[in-house]
Amino acid sequence: MMRRYDFLKAIAGDARNALAVAAGGAAREWQALKPGDGCFRSRTLGLASSIALGISIGLPRRKVMVIDGDGAFLMNLCGLPTIAWHSAGNLIHLLFDNECYEASGGTETATSSVADAVALAKGAGYKNACWVKNPREFREEFRKAWRRNELSLIAAKVKPGQPKVPPIRCDELENKYRFIRHIEKTEKKSILGSADHAARKYGKRPTVV
Amino acid sequence: MGQLEAAEQIKESIKRAGINLVASLPDEKMVELIKSIGRDASLKHLPLCREEEGVGICAGAYLTGMKCALLMQNAGFLNSCNALTTTSLQFEIPLLMLIYYAGDIGDRGFATVGSVTEPALRGLGIRTYILRRVEEADAIIGGAQTLAEDSKRPVAVLLTKTALGVA
Repeated sequence: MMRRYDFLKAIAGDARNALAVAAGGAAREWQALKPGDGCFRSRTLGLASSIALGISIGLPRRKVMVIDGDGAFLMNLCGLPTIAWHSAGNLIHLLFDNECYEASGGTETATSSVADAVALAKGAGYKNACWVKNPREFREEFRKAWRRNELSLIAAKVKPGQPKVPPIRCDELENKYRFIRHIEKTEKKSILGSADHAARKYGKRPTVV
Repeated sequence: MGQLEAAEQIKESIKRAGINLVASLPDEKMVELIKSIGRDASLKHLPLCREEEGVGICAGAYLTGMKCALLMQNAGFLNSCNALTTTSLQFEIPLLMLIYYAGDIGDRGFATVGSVTEPALRGLGIRTYILRRVEEADAIIGGAQTLAEDSKRPVAVLLTKTALGVA
C-alpha cells in the first residue's frame, strides 16, 4: 500500500492553479509539492471540506480541492449533504483513508472496520465518488473530475506516514493573509480593501510621502 | 408588528449591513425570516445540516471576499463552539452570528440553553448584542457587522421573540 504523498505527487502538475484546503500533514505535503500561497490550512478537525465549499461558492469559476483524511471526513459527515446540495461543481474532494487518527496517536477510525467513505459520499448526494487503487488511477480520475466540472470525491486507501517534507512556516494569520493576497492577485480582485481608516472615513486618499 | 413584517425588516437590515451570503439552520421563530432570505435574489442562502459547518463555509467564502452571516438558534451556536474557536478566532475571521435567543426572559421550554448562551459567548470572548425591538435592527445588525469586520472576529446578535414579531 502506498502513502498519501505518492498520490498527491501524481496530480501536482494537473492541479494547475487549483486552490487547496488541507490540514496538518496533507498541507505540509501539498506545500512541498506546490510551493506558493494557494493552500489554506484548516485547524479544525473536519472543517476543511466546509471551508473548501465556501471558497468554491465565492469563486465558482476556479477549481477548489480539499485534501481530506478519514478522521476529518467522519467528523463532518453532516457537511457532505450540504456540499452535495450547494456545490457549484468546481469542488474536487480528495480523501486519503489510512483507517486511523494518525495525527492524534494512530488509533483506528470506523473506516478500519465498517464504514465505507465512498458509499457515505454517494448516500449524501455526491454524483461522482469512487475508490482508486494506485496513483495512476488517481491521476486519471482527477483529470476526469477536472473536466466534468461536477462535484467529485476520489478516495484511496493509504498507509500512514509521511516522507521528509519541510515544516509549514506560516502561522494561521500569515496563512490567511497570504492566501487572500494570492486570490486577489490571481483573480485580479480586491478582497481586503483599504486598511486606512482615515481615508475610509473622510474619503481621502492616503498621502504619499 | 407581525412576523412577516419583522422578518422583512430584519432581512433588509442584513442586506444594508453588506451581507451577501447567509448560512442557516432554522428555529420555528425564524422561519419567516429564513423564507424571506431565501426569496431574495441578492442574498446567497445556504441551508445547512449542522451549524458548525456553517462556520467553515462562511470562513471560506470570506477568504474570497464575501460577507457572511450565520443564522441559527442558540443550541446551534453551542454546536459551533469548536469551529468558532479554532477557525474564526484562531484565523481572525469576521462573522456575523444571528442567533435566536431561545430560553430568553418569558420564553418557555428552553431555559437551560437560554441560561448558558450569554456565558458561553462571553467565554469565547464574542461581543454580543441583543435585538429586542425590530426598529433597532439597522443599528444593531449594521453595527455588529462593522464591528466584526473591524475586529476581525465573530460578533453575535441575539434575536428575541419580540424583535421577530412572534407573540
